[in-house]
Order: sequence, then C-alpha cells, then structure tokens
Amino acid sequence: MNVVSARGLVKQHGHGQGRVRAVDEVDLEVPRGEMLAVMGPSGCGKSTLLHLLGGLERPTGGEVWLAGRRVDTLSERALARLRRRSVGFVFQAFHLMEELSAAENVELPALLAGRSRREARRRASLLLDRVGLAGRARHLPSQLSGGQRQRVAIARALVNEPLVVLADEPTGNLDTAATLDVLRIFEELRSAGQTFVIVTHDERVAATADRLVSMRDGMFVDDTRLAGTGTGWLGGLAGLEG
Amino acid sequence: MGRTVLVFRLVLADVRRHKAQAAMLLLAVTVATATLALGLSLGGATQTLYEETRAATAGPDVVALAPDPGPDVTPALASLAHAPEVVAHNGPYRIVYATLTAHRTASLVVVHGAADKPGAVDRPLVTSGHWVRSGGAVLERGFATALGAGVGDRVTISGRTYPVVGIAVTAATPVFPWAPQIGPGGGPSDGGGLVWLTQSDARALASRDLPVTMAMDLKLRDPAATEAFIDAHRHTFNTRVNFHSWQFMAHQDTVMLNDTQPILVVGSWLLSFLAITGVAALAAGRAAEQTRRAGLLKAVGATPGLIAAVLLTEYLALALLADALGLAVARLAEPAIATPTASRIGGVGGPTGAIIIATTVLAVAVAALSALPPTLRALRTATVTALAVTAHRPRHRPWLTALSALLPTPLLLGLRLTARRPGRAVLHGCSTAVTLIAITALITYDAQPRWGFAQHREGWGPGLSGLPDLRADHDGRLLLAVSVLLIALATVNTVTLTWSTAMEARANMAIARTLGATPGQISAGLSIAQLLPALPGAVAGVPLGILLSGQVTTLPVSWIAAAALVILLATTALTAVPARFAARRPVAQTLSAEAA
Amino acid sequence: MQDAVLAMLAKEPSHGYHLRARLQRSLGPLGESMNPGQIYVTLARLEKAGLVVCERADGLPDRPERKVYALTPAGQQRVATWLSEVSWPKPDLAEFHLKLVAAAAARLADPVELVAAQRRELLRRMREAQRAVLAEPEGSAAVLLLEGVVLRLQADLRWLAACERAWSKVDDEVEDA
Repeated sequence: MNVVSARGLVKQHGHGQGRVRAVDEVDLEVPRGEMLAVMGPSGCGKSTLLHLLGGLERPTGGEVWLAGRRVDTLSERALARLRRRSVGFVFQAFHLMEELSAAENVELPALLAGRSRREARRRASLLLDRVGLAGRARHLPSQLSGGQRQRVAIARALVNEPLVVLADEPTGNLDTAATLDVLRIFEELRSAGQTFVIVTHDERVAATADRLVSMRDGMFVDDTRLAGTGTGWLGGLAGLEG
Repeated sequence: MGRTVLVFRLVLADVRRHKAQAAMLLLAVTVATATLALGLSLGGATQTLYEETRAATAGPDVVALAPDPGPDVTPALASLAHAPEVVAHNGPYRIVYATLTAHRTASLVVVHGAADKPGAVDRPLVTSGHWVRSGGAVLERGFATALGAGVGDRVTISGRTYPVVGIAVTAATPVFPWAPQIGPGGGPSDGGGLVWLTQSDARALASRDLPVTMAMDLKLRDPAATEAFIDAHRHTFNTRVNFHSWQFMAHQDTVMLNDTQPILVVGSWLLSFLAITGVAALAAGRAAEQTRRAGLLKAVGATPGLIAAVLLTEYLALALLADALGLAVARLAEPAIATPTASRIGGVGGPTGAIIIATTVLAVAVAALSALPPTLRALRTATVTALAVTAHRPRHRPWLTALSALLPTPLLLGLRLTARRPGRAVLHGCSTAVTLIAITALITYDAQPRWGFAQHREGWGPGLSGLPDLRADHDGRLLLAVSVLLIALATVNTVTLTWSTAMEARANMAIARTLGATPGQISAGLSIAQLLPALPGAVAGVPLGILLSGQVTTLPVSWIAAAALVILLATTALTAVPARFAARRPVAQTLSAEAA
Repeated sequence: MQDAVLAMLAKEPSHGYHLRARLQRSLGPLGESMNPGQIYVTLARLEKAGLVVCERADGLPDRPERKVYALTPAGQQRVATWLSEVSWPKPDLAEFHLKLVAAAAARLADPVELVAAQRRELLRRMREAQRAVLAEPEGSAAVLLLEGVVLRLQADLRWLAACERAWSKVDDEVEDA
C-alpha cells in the first residue's frame, strides 16, 4: 500500500508572464517502508513538492493522497489534524522553538495531538534517548550544536509515530560528522519500517535511500532503484586489487 | 559631509520602507506633545487673556464695593476718588441684584448702572450692537453665551422686559459666572451674569425693592501697588467696603481653569506613556532587523558611532517632526481650550521657550527610551552573530511552559508566546491600565452631581431651567477628548503589539502549523497572548482611574465594570484581526523566509 | 601492498598472521575481500627480493605461521623511500570524457543518457560505501578509508552532474538550431 502518492501534481507560482511551474505534472508513489530521496539543483521544485505532500502548500492541480486519503481538498483545519498524526517534518533550518527545551520541543506535537502530559513526556524522553540526546533534554536549542538540534527535530517529527517523515535538506546545515549521525538515525528508522521522503542535494544523503528520483524544472527526469545491487567492488575502489 | 549624507540616505530609505511605523511614531508623539504643550500653556494663557481684556477696556486697578445700604455709602466711596494714589475713577454706581429670564432660562444677574459714555476707567468693550441706552440692556459676553442670547433678543429682568442692544466685555469683574463678586448685603455669592443698564434704568430697577451694592472703579498711579492701597484704606470708613484688586480678578480667572490644566497635564503624561509603549513595541518588533542592519553596516566598516547615528536618527528625526507638529496643533487648539469663557478677549500667545523645551524633551525621551535599547543591543551584538541569527535569545521559562502543557491548545500556544516576550506583555498590560484609568476617570467625573451656577436659592419658577455649567461642561468635553485620544492611541498600540508579536512569532507559528496546529488555534493563541496581560492591566487601571478623578461622591460601579469588560472584549476583537491575518500566512513561505 | 607490508614491519619484527590481523583492522570491511594467503605470498616475494629476512621461532615445526619476519637494511631503505613518495592514484576521467565526445560526434548514443547510466552506477556504489560507513562501530580506523571512498564518489558524481548540465545544454542548442 502506498503511504504517499501524487497524481498529476502541479504547483504554479506567480501570474501571467512571471508564472513559474515549480512542480509540473508529477506522479509519485511511495510504498510503506520505502526511503525515497528526491534530488535536484536548487530551484528545481523539490522543496515545493515536499510542502505539497505534507499539506503545507496547496497544489494548483492534481491530487495528493496520504494513507489512502485525498488531502489536497481538505480544509486547513482537517489538514492540520491529519498532519499531527500522520506526518513528521524535518527541516534544514531545524525550526525548533527557541524558548522551549529539547524535551519540550519534542513533546509539543504530542500535546497538540491531545496526548496527556505524562504520555507526551514519556514519548519525548524515549525518543531523545533514541537519538542519543538523553542527557540534553533540558537544554535550550541555543545550547545545542547543529547536529544535536537536528536530532531533536527528528525526535519531534517521530513523537506521534507518523506514517511518513518528510525531510527537507535534513543535513544541509550540518558538518560531516553530524550528517553521519543523522544518516545513522535515518538508517535505523528505515530498517524499522519507517517511510521517508527526503529532499536533498547531497549525494551522500541520497545514496542512503532505497530509491532516488531526480528532479529538474519541476519534473522527474530519472527514477533509480538503489536497493539490492551487487557488491565486491569496494576494495577495488579503495585501491586494493584482489 | 559624506557621512551626513550617508546617514540621511539610510534613514530616508528606511522610513520609506516602513511608512506605517513612521506614521504611527509620528501620530503617537504628536498627540503626546500637543497635549503637554496645551497643559503647560494654560497657566499663562488665562493671565494673558485677562491682561489683554484689561488693556482694551481700561480695566480698573481696584474695585471698591460697599454692600450696606445707607446714606454714608456714596460719600464714603466718593471720598476714595480724592485719595492721593488715585488718578482716575468711575462711579460710584449701583449694582442691583436681580433675576433675568430669557428663552425660558433663568439666572441670577447683577445689573450695573452705567454711564451713557464711559469715562477714563472701565470702558467695557462692545463686541456687538452698541452701548447702553435708555430702556436697552447690554449683556456681558460670557453670560450672553451661556444664555444663548444675542443683540435683538428680549430679556426680562425682575419682571421688566428690555431689548438686548449690545454685548460687551469688561475687566472690572471676574469672568462669568463670578460677576457679582459679593452677594446681597455682602454675603456669599451664588454667581450670576452681568447686565448693564443706564443709570436711571438701574435706579428704577433698584427702587423695586431689590438688593443693591454701591461700587466704584479706581485707577491708581501705580497699578502694582494695589495691596498697599487696599491696606491703607480698608478701615477708614464707618461702612463696610470690600476692595477687589485687578490681580485678584486675574486670579479668579485662573481658578476657572484649575481643573482643565490637570486634565491636560496628567492626560499628556498618560498619552506620552502610551506613545512610549507603542513606539517601544514598534522598535522591539524591528530589533532583530535593526541588529542585522547594524551587523551589515559593521561588516562594511561603519564605526559604532555611525551605526548608532543611523539607528537613532530615524526615531529622533521623526520624534522632532512630531514635536513640531504637536506644538502647531497645540497652538491651533489653544484658543478653544484656554478660553472656556467668552468674558475675555484676545488671543493666546505662541508657545513659550519653556514649553518648547518641555515638549522637545518629551519627544526626545520617547524616541530615546524606545529606540535606545534595541540600538544598544544591535551595537553590542558581534558582527557575525548579528548577520547569522536572530539577535534575541529568548529565555526559558520552565514553569510557564509546564503550566501551559495542562491547558487546551490555544492557551498552550498563547502562554508559550507570552513566555517568549514578557517585556511586551508588561507593555500591553500597562497600555490597558492607562486606557482604563482614562475611562474610569471619565465615567466617575461624569457621575458626580453638579452644583449649578447662578441658581436662585429658592429655585426657579415653573417651566424655567438654570444656566448650563459652562466650566464643568468644558472640563467634561476636554476629559472626553483626552480619553478619546488615549483610547485611539491604545487601540493603535494593541494592534501594533499584536502585529509585532505575530511577526516575531511567525516562525514559531509556522512551526506549530507544521506540527499540526490549526489556523484557528494559532490565532486564538495569539489573541490569548495579548489578552492575558490585559487582564491585570484592567484590574489595576480601575482604582488608579478613580484616584485620578479626585474627590468622589458617587462611584458608578456597574458602569466601570462594563467599561473594563468592553475594553477586554475590544482587545480580543482588535487582536483577532492581526492574529487571524498572521495565522493565515502560508506556512511554507514563512519557513523558507526564516531559513534564508 | 608490498610497501604497506614492509612499512608495517618497520615498527618491529612480526608473525605473518599478526601482520594480517593488523591489515584487516585498518581496512575494516574492505579487508574481508583479501585472500587469506595473500600476505604470505607478498612476504615470500619480499624475502626473495632481499627486503625482509625470515627468522624461525624456537625450533618449532616448519610452518609459515611460526615464521617471524624482519626488515633488512635494504628493506628499511625502501620504506624510507616509500614514505617520502608523493605519487597518487590517477583518476581516469579522460576516458569517460572521450566516450561522451565520441558518442555525441558519431551519434552513437545520447551523452546525457550515458551520464545518467554512469550516475546510477556510481550512486549504487556510493550507497554500498555509505552503508559500510554507517555499519562501522564508533572509533573504527576503517571509517576514514570508507569516508575517502564516499568522498571520491561524491566528487565523481558532482563531475557527472556538471557533465550532464553541459551536455543537456548542447542538446538544447541542437534542438533550438
């Protein structure tokens, strides 16, 4: 079953001569448990695509389906409710609330979703532990490094056990070590069956996905399955001849 | 030179980009300085008015009043004319206590028996019609205004009807309604109007058994030496003689405006406070942007001095422009506000140096108080930090956050927003308090029972009413005007505060939206963030307003409670609009703008 | 490989199996592909070349595992030379570049398609290297080597992206003309 799908998706910005099709007739299907990466140069429309899938923007045309439910026709209110339970966002700029501690940031979506304070707290500490930040629960975002902040954001995205995690350049502001931390967490979640759509221009991030879609000028130009390909060349590439 | 041009260019560009903020600053400071200028100029204004009237009417230096009847009175007064200090005189003349009705309105009046051609002292200035003639009455202008009578009307004085042939002003009596100065038989006066009749008409009126006081106007060699003259002559008669110096009458005029000045001065402080609140909210709302701007300027090599100049000049320039505007407004409004009586002539002089200094200090203080903190913060922030991140690091308030976790979502969001900006919450609370102070004072003032002037002790006959209380009406109008200004400014403040909160919280709001908060929850949260501090503000404003309105005999509790409720409801309504607007902003756009 | 084995002996004389373990520790998952006998083949060659000497340990039976190898002076000389060398594996990009040019000129294939196919292949490799990196435990010496593999692939992928942009433009111009 597809967790996320889109049919003939179009998003247009501006009017008349200045009209730009950020997303142009895109069809997409993301089955449960798949990690899909969307790559492309800046301005190719990949972020817009992600916003459309998460209901942060409304399409000009086409359909968006989330967990078997058509969402592009929902009201803002219904969309917000759906987002609470089904979608977790991870952004390049982390977008944590600066005045809330790490734990409070993580529990916020749980509280919004109407969970009890105790339950929200429990989930938050569990997830912070999972992303390796158990000791930083009471820290403010400003007291954390970029990598740690992004891990808090990932924990926040997961707190309501979403059907899909939508990540927009999740490593765009991170150094190599922090990128690896994030990718390790993603890999762990992927093996646990979490569905992902990751927008990135970093080949390293894209290479962790099961499937890679390349986007240019609002359209998909390539769709490659990366999972399940051969081995045995690694040594060769490192300069170790048999 | 180049540097000045640069500062000027940067300031101009910024004002052009933020027209609404500039207009708001201008409005707030103009209102505050205008009110202050008016309040401060009132003290001098009445003095000026009296002096101009005195000069135009050859006002006496001393008026001698002999209230007792008897044959000794006229010779006693006449003897004063021969005193060595006296250079000219008018009278002795009769002052007859009578009642006057016109247009179904009745009033006590004193009738002066006047010479057909006034002499060297006390030449009332006829402002319309002409001077007394046999059978015709001239009304004092302040009285005529209260009565609503003009030349050609007919008035009935103690049973006899006279046509009004003229309207005049004089400096020989205090302004309406204090023309009688003393009551019949030297007793206390209830106030009343002043009417001139010819001497023979006055004598005819007096013959109908009405109380009479004899009076004489005196011109002294040294107009300043009235006290010495009065002391020398007070006890030289075997009949009672009261002396009223021109200084005393000028003082009486000031008493007339006694309440007006505090209304304006206190009003101006309240308005200034609101102005500071509003402008500070504006400045704080732009603090992050200013810090970034300072960082940019530093990065291209500007000195801290230049940056401070750029950031402060804008506020200072606008405040000074507003100061000039405020003074101009005060100048225009002064005749209407400083002359609550038509008994005096003359215009009001322009604002004095001291007033200009006071309002300028006020304007500069508003600009400095509101713009200095963000400017200093911008200067202190390291260049790189300023360019990289939002300058303000919000503090963590665990108890507020923890408390909010127990509440419904909008309250949760609202409380977490309030926690973000405690300073702004205080500003908003104060703004609400000030508004309620003004409204409570207005309501309390309005509820006080009025003691009518020129009322007959036994009341008026059937179908007749007394004169309106011009002074109280004037003060009431002024209080209303100041309150309206306060409410207007508070409204603008509320919208500004909500909008700047919404602007600053837009990232957090967008984040909350991605986490699944509905637009309704967001706008309710924003409204609540404003309403929470408004509550204590309202609670504090009521007692302060009652305190301000002075001696209180009746407290209209239900009205005040209603006002507080209306203010809170209005706050909710006012915050709802910008909050709703902010909550509807597309999330994706906000987030990408924040990330950039 | 020979140079690396020599350099490892510079610290102290060592058993063959000990050398092999050290190599595998440094190479991590890359070392797994190494033939178990390869180290002894290499040592035999080095001995023949007079760069190492073999000392038998404590009169035990003649088994290769029991041999201790040590550097000869010539071997030491060779290690010093190797350390000061600055040679670097040459990236062979010219071949792929010429493939694209030739394919375009002879209209044998669409260069953009060739680039895309190549890109897919490199991405698959990268995925594998990336997974190997993520699978390594904290503090593993092999991570650095794998990181190098990933970064080289990343560089190659970026070059392919540049190729794709350039050849797409050529296509567009041809279409426009």
